[in-house]
Amino acid sequence: MSEELKATVSEEPELLDAVPEGAEEGAAEAKLSAWQTIVKGLCKFASLFGFGSKYYHSNKRRKKIFFDVITYAILIAVSFIMIYPFWWMISASFASSKQIMISNSAWWPKETRKDLFGNYANVITIAAQGGTNFWQSVGVTLLYSLVPVTVGIITSTMAAFAFAKLNFKGKNVVFFYCLAGIMIPGPSIMITQYCFYNELGWTLNGLAMIIPGCFGAVLTAFFIRQYLYGMPTAILEAAKIDGAGYWRIFWQFVVPLAMPAITAQFILSFIGSWNNYLGPLLFVQSEAWYPLALLVAQFESKIGSATENYPSIMAISVLALLPVLILFGVFQKWILGSIMLTGSKE
Amino acid sequence: MKEQVMAAQNTESAVHDEAEALTVAPPQKRRINRAVLSENLWGWFFVCFLVIGTTVFIYLAFILSVWLSFVDYRGNGTLWEALGEANSGGAFYWYQYMFSNTMPGYFGQVAPGGLSNFGTTLLNTVFYLIGIPVGMALSLFFAALMSRDIKGSGAFRVIYYIPTVSSTVSVALLWSNLFGEGGTMVSLFGTEFIAGDRWMQMLTVLILTTWKGLGGSILLLCAGMNGVNESHKEAASIDGANAWTTFWRISLPQLWPTIFYCIVTSFIGGMQIFAEPDLIYGNGVTDASVMPVTPFVGLIYGNYYETRYYSYCSALGIVLMIIILLLTLVQFWLDSRRDKV
Repeated sequence: MSEELKATVSEEPELLDAVPEGAEEGAAEAKLSAWQTIVKGLCKFASLFGFGSKYYHSNKRRKKIFFDVITYAILIAVSFIMIYPFWWMISASFASSKQIMISNSAWWPKETRKDLFGNYANVITIAAQGGTNFWQSVGVTLLYSLVPVTVGIITSTMAAFAFAKLNFKGKNVVFFYCLAGIMIPGPSIMITQYCFYNELGWTLNGLAMIIPGCFGAVLTAFFIRQYLYGMPTAILEAAKIDGAGYWRIFWQFVVPLAMPAITAQFILSFIGSWNNYLGPLLFVQSEAWYPLALLVAQFESKIGSATENYPSIMAISVLALLPVLILFGVFQKWILGSIMLTGSKE
Repeated sequence: MKEQVMAAQNTESAVHDEAEALTVAPPQKRRINRAVLSENLWGWFFVCFLVIGTTVFIYLAFILSVWLSFVDYRGNGTLWEALGEANSGGAFYWYQYMFSNTMPGYFGQVAPGGLSNFGTTLLNTVFYLIGIPVGMALSLFFAALMSRDIKGSGAFRVIYYIPTVSSTVSVALLWSNLFGEGGTMVSLFGTEFIAGDRWMQMLTVLILTTWKGLGGSILLLCAGMNGVNESHKEAASIDGANAWTTFWRISLPQLWPTIFYCIVTSFIGGMQIFAEPDLIYGNGVTDASVMPVTPFVGLIYGNYYETRYYSYCSALGIVLMIIILLLTLVQFWLDSRRDKV
């Protein structure tokens, strides 16, 4: 790309035939007024970037390079806006006090802690002072994210398989019955769900965050169904003739074939559960079962008045963020591909 | 397929012995039935978990919500008992309370005004929705840039999607320090954000949601732009259309379904905004300093958390659902009218 650029820049912009040439040129130039000279100069300047005008041809290659440079400039500038808050978060987590963290760490804190990772070590002690074990909270978050998502993705895939490939009485009715459920917004029924789980005793032991998810999600089932729907039926027919039961067909053919869709939905659901805030805020009433999101949200009240402990809040934010970012970094190709294919953003 | 093979085998045997074929006929019929039956049974088995989950955790909860909104429950006794007792203020008490400033919230108790809170929070939610058109315009612009024939557009997509996958709690805490009193952004722009007036406070949330939501719609629009018919673009450029005209006349109409999908889904999501303002400013229906920035779902949560008017929460939830449903239908109606023009 850069060699091309050099080659084109070294080329002189060609003059249009309409402009007088040879012996007449001097006379014509003499006739040009000062204003016309300025216009012609500007046109020559524009022609360097490939724009055509009264005097010069347009140049497609130069124009493309010009717009490419602008595109890169804008995209890189906005990438900076997208990334900078995270950089600030990381740098602030090394600050030595609240004052320095807030006003003196635009790029790097003016004064970092003497033990550089002290704020990270402090997270565990501060959480313990507030009565929560940090590692227990991490474990609970993993439990809330892994168990319902794993079981839920299996039940969703089962339903997706039945909707896409099996013929049974009432299939269409059941399909639209399930799809209609997503028209009910979560916040509309969350208080009733809370009362309901409370009666069952699920709010005190984290079961409210685990059991409902195990029954699968309609949207997940819908997207996997769309994926399976385009799959050829011949393989399944062949398996059926060879005497494989539906259960075996599901595990040996459907699951491996739908693996790209399943993986992407699994990771998206995992990230969603890890980041979930409103769910545990309502459905987890016992502090021993608080996930990381709630611990982070209520961390400020645990810090107390010591300003040198305050930057720990950014440290715990980084800790809560890191697993998801790593997961996204590893699986970004699958995730973005799945979103672009299915249109599911969650 | 299985049945056909069996039928073929049976006709073969019929050639050998017609009399036996007659006796074979009834079991053959039964065998076909068995295959259909097993497909039916397995079909229902495969969907049963999803159907049970949807029925119990969505439809049952929804029916209980409607029911609860007509009774009077605030955590006294069990849910089942409360469902059996009629509201002494009339079945529609909580719906009337929502639109009245003078009715007492709970009998004999003075409660925060129903209508003023309802109006304020609804207005705030609508204000937070401003992020959608702004975000759409921005993501359309960036998606157009990314779908140019340049190297590394995949890397940009990943970078722009990072805020979307990151934890709301972490990002909100980050925002409250970055935009808080004396924060980096305050000294950069020379104006108070979180410590400023109500509109600046809401603008802070708006910046957060737009920043966080940009990646998703850029991704969908990029996918849509890949689907725009190349030969149409080529034909337009041969006819002398420049890039600008091609974008407006060729790409945009073909992109419209994607844009419409993005608008509808972000509208439905935007009406349910709760976490960001709650994490930055806190929540409270009795707290006058927080009320001006609380969204509608914050009102539901606040009534649950502070006053425990579970029935009122349910009534508010039903109204929220009706509002979302109606406005979504309006969007679809506007879209259908656009097609006719």
